[in-house]
Amino acid sequence: MFLFLYTSRVKTLLRDKDNLFWTLMFPLLLATFFYIAFGSIMNKSENFKPVPTAVVNNEAYINNTYFADALKTASTGDNPILQLSVLNREQAEKQLESGEISGIITVSDTISLKVKQSGVNQSIIKAFLDQYLQTEKEVAAILKANPDAANQGLFNALGKHISCTKEISFSGADPNPMLNYFYALIAMACLYGSFWGMRNTTDMQANLSALGARRSVAPTHKMASVVSDGLAALTILFAEIMITVCYIAFVLGADFGTRWGYVVLTCFIGCVTGISFGTFVGSAIRKSEGVKTAILLGFSMVMSFLAGLMIGDMKIMIAQKAPILNLINPATLLTDAFYSLYIYESLDRFFLNIGILSIISLGLTAGSFVFIRRERYASI
Amino acid sequence: MIIKVQNLVKRYGDLLALDHFGLEIEQGEIFGLLGPNGSGKTTAINCMLSLLKYDKGTIEIFGKPMSPDAYDIKRNIGVVMQNVAVFNELTVYENIQYFCGLYIPDKDKRDRYTDEAIEFVGLQDFRKFMPKKLSGGLLRRLNIACGIAHKPNLIFLDEPTVAVDPQSRNNILEGIQRLNREGATIVYTSHYMEEVEQICSRIAIIDKGKTLATGTKDELKAMIKTGETLSAELYALSEEDLEAIRSLPHVTDATFINNRLTVLCSGGKHNLIRLLDTLKSRDISFGRVFSEPPTLNDVFLEITGKELRD
Repeated sequence: MFLFLYTSRVKTLLRDKDNLFWTLMFPLLLATFFYIAFGSIMNKSENFKPVPTAVVNNEAYINNTYFADALKTASTGDNPILQLSVLNREQAEKQLESGEISGIITVSDTISLKVKQSGVNQSIIKAFLDQYLQTEKEVAAILKANPDAANQGLFNALGKHISCTKEISFSGADPNPMLNYFYALIAMACLYGSFWGMRNTTDMQANLSALGARRSVAPTHKMASVVSDGLAALTILFAEIMITVCYIAFVLGADFGTRWGYVVLTCFIGCVTGISFGTFVGSAIRKSEGVKTAILLGFSMVMSFLAGLMIGDMKIMIAQKAPILNLINPATLLTDAFYSLYIYESLDRFFLNIGILSIISLGLTAGSFVFIRRERYASI
Repeated sequence: MIIKVQNLVKRYGDLLALDHFGLEIEQGEIFGLLGPNGSGKTTAINCMLSLLKYDKGTIEIFGKPMSPDAYDIKRNIGVVMQNVAVFNELTVYENIQYFCGLYIPDKDKRDRYTDEAIEFVGLQDFRKFMPKKLSGGLLRRLNIACGIAHKPNLIFLDEPTVAVDPQSRNNILEGIQRLNREGATIVYTSHYMEEVEQICSRIAIIDKGKTLATGTKDELKAMIKTGETLSAELYALSEEDLEAIRSLPHVTDATFINNRLTVLCSGGKHNLIRLLDTLKSRDISFGRVFSEPPTLNDVFLEITGKELRD
């Protein structure tokens, strides 16, 4: 009997096009839009292309060995910023006109740049020249104040970029704030699973629908119906969430780290939370189905917003202003669980999130049980 | 005794929905619960099915107390709700099979019963249709098939013909009689007195949560004074003529409204002839004349002072 109830329910829910849209198609579409919006930022493998630049081959350039060395450094190595051509004036002008190069550097008493238009490439060449000229002035000033500096390693120091801050990765992954959008989106999809929970309650309770009344007069134990319907909804939602995660990870390329077992566990707990949320609202609130749908949709969107679905830093802002919100918001807990897995070696924070989510789910399930266990109603 | 309800009291806040309601239904009956909308018919059925809590009273079905977990009782009950209760995502066949499956665990038996139920309600050509594709009448038939597919001994039908076209209504009523002939006891609620008169072997008239009268339709009609209702279309009638008609033997009341004379007569012979003689002797010209036996509406009117349709 249980298998019959379960398979029938799966078949029924799988044909519920409205809920399928909100719990599967909508997250997939939103993820695709996110990818289009953040794609260039997300795609770390996209190579920076050196800017095609010409330097006029004249006597001043040949004599300015420091500048020639700087240009050589900038146009060679693993990550060159310039693709340098040494040309005579005429050739350079011709290539600039045809768009083959973005700018012409001319060395005379000063160093000048000629461009045909403004843009990113031209800004890069200008930034390079500005930095060189600024450094040249600094060296002149230092040597004027301390003529021995040249012997004290000044030029070696200038050749290195010294950073005063250090990036530390706990799991070997690079911090990437863009990932938070995708994690929050998965959290939203889990909370949209509440629609399945509400549907189950409506179809089961005699005081909520004629279908519920018909099922209630059948000789089926109520708990068998509750469990079979709940498992059917969980099966479908979990499959949907895994499809969404796989799409985001393997098609769109968002990084979930390497601990996939825990990622799956997070998805599962998220599904349980979503369904129990919907079951609670569906059973506890005596309003029309439209009102309940609006409540679920509204809460899910607000919780996802607070988790950073629309503003990436929202989670941090809330952590500063009202940290308790982050501890009771399932969307934030799910988002943070994914990010903890991605960024931290330790699982402490991850398990804290999962633990709180489990407590929330248990609370919602217990609350729902109070209403669902009724077998006779005051009114229907 | 299939059903025995005694002193059932059900309140919705201050509203007394069932006021010491009681009835007894024998095996093999088609028992009609007749009453206007809001009289307590559906509430009574929902209490009998253990869907509703009630404040007082006892309900026994098949000789046992009815409760939500009385699965052995529920297994032999079929219910056709007033509102259509089917899954929009399942086909006609799948819906019937699902609801049959709640009662019949054996798959082969379930499949056979499903086929028989489809044939019974005449939905063979719509097996793969989704409920949304069915007309109102066909949807009602599907609703009935879902309630009776498991071949129950006792069937509750709560206003199954509401908003149904005449053809489907006849089909449904014939089906109910067929189920009864095949051995099922039927509890049928309706506010359509013609339907109740047509199919029910016994009838309980309900109003304001009370059982006002119970019996066969003839027994109920015999309870009231009115034996015959005469009516005639007249151009005009003076008050003096109306009084003369009221004074005729067996006439209990006479009214003249909108050019229509209505005369209520108690049981007796030649009422119509006496009325026509009176009209003729007073030189009152008349059009069409009707003589009708008492209806359940007359019974209801006389007991409650209001029309069943009100």
